[in-house]
Amino acid sequence: MRKSRTTALMAVALAVLSFFVAACGSSSDDAGNNDTKSNSNAAPAKDLKGQTVRLWIMNNGPKPVADTQNIVAPFEQKTGIKVKVELVGWDVQLDRIRNAAVSGEGPDVTQAGTTQVPFFAALGGFENVQDKVSQIGGASAYAPGIWKTSQVEGQDGTWGVPWFTEARTIYYRKDALQAAGVDPKTAFSSQEALKATLEKLKAVKDIGGKPIAPFGGPGKKAYDLVHNLMPWVWDSGGAELSSDNKKSTINSPQAVQGVKFATDLVGAGLWDKSMLERDGQQVEDQFKGGRLAVFIGGPWVLQSAKRADDDTWSAAARKNVGVAPMPGGANSKGFTFIGGSNLMVFKSSQHKDAAWALIKYLSDDKVQAQYANLMGMFPARLKPQEAEGTVDADHEAFYAAIKDQGRSYAPIAQWAQVENAYKNQFGQILDEAAGKGQLSDQDIQSGLDKAAKEADGLLAQSAG
Amino acid sequence: MSTHSLTPTEIAPPDPPPPATPKRRSRRPGRHLAYWLIAPALTFMVLVHLIPSAAGIALSFKNLNTFTFSQLFGAPWTGLKNYDAILFDSANPLHSGFVDAARNTVIYTAATVTGTLAGGLGIALLLARQFPGRRTVRTLMLAPYVVPSFVVAVLWGFMWQSDSGIINKILVDYTGILHDRPTWLLGHNSLLAIIIPSIWRGIPLAMLIFLAGLETMPRELHEAAAIDGAGPWRRFRYITLPLLRPLIAVQLLFGVIYSTYQFTIPYVMLGSNPGSDADLIMTLIVRQSFSNNLIGFGAAASTLLMLVMLIWVAVWFRAFRRDLEAS
Repeated sequence: MRKSRTTALMAVALAVLSFFVAACGSSSDDAGNNDTKSNSNAAPAKDLKGQTVRLWIMNNGPKPVADTQNIVAPFEQKTGIKVKVELVGWDVQLDRIRNAAVSGEGPDVTQAGTTQVPFFAALGGFENVQDKVSQIGGASAYAPGIWKTSQVEGQDGTWGVPWFTEARTIYYRKDALQAAGVDPKTAFSSQEALKATLEKLKAVKDIGGKPIAPFGGPGKKAYDLVHNLMPWVWDSGGAELSSDNKKSTINSPQAVQGVKFATDLVGAGLWDKSMLERDGQQVEDQFKGGRLAVFIGGPWVLQSAKRADDDTWSAAARKNVGVAPMPGGANSKGFTFIGGSNLMVFKSSQHKDAAWALIKYLSDDKVQAQYANLMGMFPARLKPQEAEGTVDADHEAFYAAIKDQGRSYAPIAQWAQVENAYKNQFGQILDEAAGKGQLSDQDIQSGLDKAAKEADGLLAQSAG
Repeated sequence: MSTHSLTPTEIAPPDPPPPATPKRRSRRPGRHLAYWLIAPALTFMVLVHLIPSAAGIALSFKNLNTFTFSQLFGAPWTGLKNYDAILFDSANPLHSGFVDAARNTVIYTAATVTGTLAGGLGIALLLARQFPGRRTVRTLMLAPYVVPSFVVAVLWGFMWQSDSGIINKILVDYTGILHDRPTWLLGHNSLLAIIIPSIWRGIPLAMLIFLAGLETMPRELHEAAAIDGAGPWRRFRYITLPLLRPLIAVQLLFGVIYSTYQFTIPYVMLGSNPGSDADLIMTLIVRQSFSNNLIGFGAAASTLLMLVMLIWVAVWFRAFRRDLEAS
């Protein structure tokens, strides 16, 4: 008995000791990092040569690391600063960036999704670069909607520098529209026109002997499901949050009508139900493979059609791909989500000046255009964006979407979580639509009420 | 200073020490060696098991969210608020999600464990008989178990696809059993879509354990019962099943724990938001903790889950104590 008690006591003592060691270790680490962080900021420019800046990027384009490394090669040559590009997948980037920001163990610069910037800034692990942005032209060098993504509501500062931009718009198959007898110029001019087009496309069972569905979009597995459904909500006059960003308005009657537009497409058999079982990439591949006549995608799809090494395209789809702006609602010009990525500097970086030098280089108009072209995105800065928008009719459609229809979410720290709550319920509602067919207003209202309730709880979070 | 005089008892010579006191025994070098030998395992267990568990329990009493995330253990104390939100506060937006996930987890666990044990036993009974190619069949039957859960989920995800999956091809195109193509990965069907692959993966291990039990079972009992006129069902009911009870007990214990903590298969097949029809406790905990940064909530849900598992172990121990002692 005494022996087992001794053993138990030893175990408890060891546990307590280790606990204190771990706790002390973490607090002293934090303190240490804060000290070194502020000191390193004062590194003189002449010392930058020979420094290595670690840059985290996500899956931008088919060869993300090699492409980025090529882009920064002239910078390395000119400054003597070495850039180490490291790939972090979109599926894990939120966790890794957050953990790096909190622990102080991370790279110098990271790419971050535009809607994530306020959350990362709230963690306190990133530099406020407000006093430096005049060196890259400041806010006036960017479209207001895009510049807004580098800010945090209620705080004076700039936590990210917009790197590249994307918007979602309509992709269609020219040959399918031709077979359906629809004029592409009017096919997507309004929500009603879109519906009528899809009805006609439904009658086109196949193209060249290959079955084709009128429309498809991903369901609950898509990480960006909210970006896909919010345009319908915005078109109906709905909004994701109240004007003061304190309450969810996703259960408003307008939002219900917006979501209903999407579920009606499922109910009417215009939205291929099997696409709801897939994630965004898989649906994109279905369009490229020729299984869908219409889908909503980003500019990278257009770029990939030009790459002969992208074998996900069927010959017919590649040859006949067309782009149109998003259709408008009854009282709107039509909206789309604009996003993209920003660059953020970690507070824990030991090479902040070199990191800023890299951001300055990547914000150069020419470099922006070059990189955006490689990835099939749009540059974040106005000038190169405008130039990209005049390349051809398809790029024009995208540029129009970014300029005239683009809309993003509130720059608040809780947005990523609110988006998650919406995603959960949007997925559930689309699931129900796939099972039941037509959903009533009440069905959708009940799902959106749950989303609003969860979002309100998340918005009410505080540090207290 | 004490000034009392000595009593006769105190003057008397002391009793001889007992031949082997615990203190003397502990000085034996073998005992020290034993402590040294268990020390690494003990340290490892404390570091990777006890401390994280204790830390998790501590965090469940904290208001750890987006704004306090970087403070971690320094986040404000919130008492039992997280537990109240999960269990009783219907006004809390996370309460209904927890109730849905708990319901789905109970259904998933009951179905998976029952299916695995029944399937494993059935196949073991078939494979216990002599037939040509028995060894090959046995080896092939083990295949699902050696495939990682992630791969199982990916494979079944393709098989369940409503348009191109093999399951609908069989049910609709080849046999015509169904007219419409069900969407297995959406809505109510999605719970079934994760239960079946879980059973498929679990059956080989159950089969292997039952097969070992069947092969070590004394033949005389069956022969004697057969001579006494007992048919196959009665022999199974009154001889095979009681003798397999300890094996069923152990598999029941681990099966329930494993299924309750299942994450990979639902996450890979249905994504991080499986929806209220198929959300399990583990997918809920991971989503709320790491996607929504509600670490306090996630820690409270994890602690509750751990308590439920401890209760399950206690109930199991009570129910099967005799079997354990007998075996």
